[in-house]
Amino acid sequence: MEATALAWLGAGLGAGLVALGAGLGIGRLAGPAMEGSARQPEAAGDIRTSMIIAAALIEGVALFGLAICFLLAIK
Amino acid sequence: MSLSKNIRALSLLLLLVPFFVQARVAVAAEEGEQLDTVGHTADGFYLDFAPFGSIELPRIFLARGEDGGLRLDAYSSTAAALRSGEYAIVHTADEQTELVTDEAVIEEMIAHHSHLYSSIAPLAGEIVVDFSITRHLVFGVLAALLVLLIFIPLGRRYRTPEARKSAPHGIFQNMFEAAVIFVRDEIARPNIGEKYERFLPFLLTAFFFVLFSNILGLVPYAGAATSNLSVTLVLAAFTFILGQVYASKDHWKHIFWPPGVPFAVKFILIPVEFIGLFTKHAALAIRLFANMMAGSLVILSLIGLIFTFNHLFGGGVASGVAPVSIAMTLFISIVKLLVAFIQAYVFTMLSALFIGMAVAEHHDHEGAEPHDSQDHHNFSPALTMDGQTSQFEVAETHGEPVLAG
Repeated sequence: MEATALAWLGAGLGAGLVALGAGLGIGRLAGPAMEGSARQPEAAGDIRTSMIIAAALIEGVALFGLAICFLLAIK
Repeated sequence: MSLSKNIRALSLLLLLVPFFVQARVAVAAEEGEQLDTVGHTADGFYLDFAPFGSIELPRIFLARGEDGGLRLDAYSSTAAALRSGEYAIVHTADEQTELVTDEAVIEEMIAHHSHLYSSIAPLAGEIVVDFSITRHLVFGVLAALLVLLIFIPLGRRYRTPEARKSAPHGIFQNMFEAAVIFVRDEIARPNIGEKYERFLPFLLTAFFFVLFSNILGLVPYAGAATSNLSVTLVLAAFTFILGQVYASKDHWKHIFWPPGVPFAVKFILIPVEFIGLFTKHAALAIRLFANMMAGSLVILSLIGLIFTFNHLFGGGVASGVAPVSIAMTLFISIVKLLVAFIQAYVFTMLSALFIGMAVAEHHDHEGAEPHDSQDHHNFSPALTMDGQTSQFEVAETHGEPVLAG
């Protein structure tokens, strides 16, 4: 298999794995956030803020992986 | 007309937009024409106003001549640079680069607008630095001008001491004062501590520049300057420089001689901490860049689906895929709006966090302590059931003198 084909294959697989990782990570944090907000509605605002920050950080890591997949796909 | 009727009319109009776009895209797919969605997301040397035409941007080069001297060449457009006779298009074929100098070929390329996609080089000498104005530069400057236009008049309103004591009036002042207070109380003060005022101008500028730049990326015909890695790297570099210039001695001590770890582990931890200093700020840049770029690329992929289906299965299937694709594009555009705000907030918050970590002076690093930003008085009754509720006692002792006097 030539290098270009392998690069494209790697890019596709990588993008899928990145999406999987991001979905799992953010899903694991959204569940308990919902439960916490349901248990204590006064804290819902703080929980929502922390959830958004954590989700943005996890998404940042996922997008690093995506950037590498793009580099593979373009080269 | 009442507000609800206005909202209903507007939402009906919005629902019709996908069908207009679908019609154009489906027709383009059937005719097999190229719809240039990549060109708008990436950086380029022209501004595209699709049905009306495009504007070429000036090219500015710092070039070194054959005699070794530097000169600054400025042209009003790429076409002008090519027509001046001093620059030619670089054509790469089979790993051989040659300069296309034939005027007829150049004019033909200009007619087809393909001269904007290839690099150009001087006939004599070489380019040292390319200072050309690109699309992202134009929109970055536009975002910066918007920030100046909004905040200089806003700052003028607070000049007199009377104005600072009275409540803000007007939608404009209230809206931006709420945003500024949000940055100060939720982002700067909890993360930096007592010295937050010194860094507040930078944090405010970063927040509003990133926010306006991200939102400009959603405007049709305009793009986001923050979807360029150079812009975000410079913003992260500002955070880095600010943090290190104003860092306390504890900061360097904690990096090069971490306390609280066993002696042998220190030598592994020192390079990790040092490199971590740079990767944290690089992550700041890449996070913002990737989020902005990804939004545009998802839309590109969704609309490209129509063309892929057209190529694989023909025009009929493509017309069927088009509404689904356009609906998903609409959804992703709404998500992009949310992401624009969230990424501005996260960038500013992490900048404040990194600056706070560098500037912190305590020997015992407890992290961000909420100083007075939280209300300590609303404990639940269970917590104060030790027989004494101090706040009520205080109220009673304060109440007696008033009643007696």
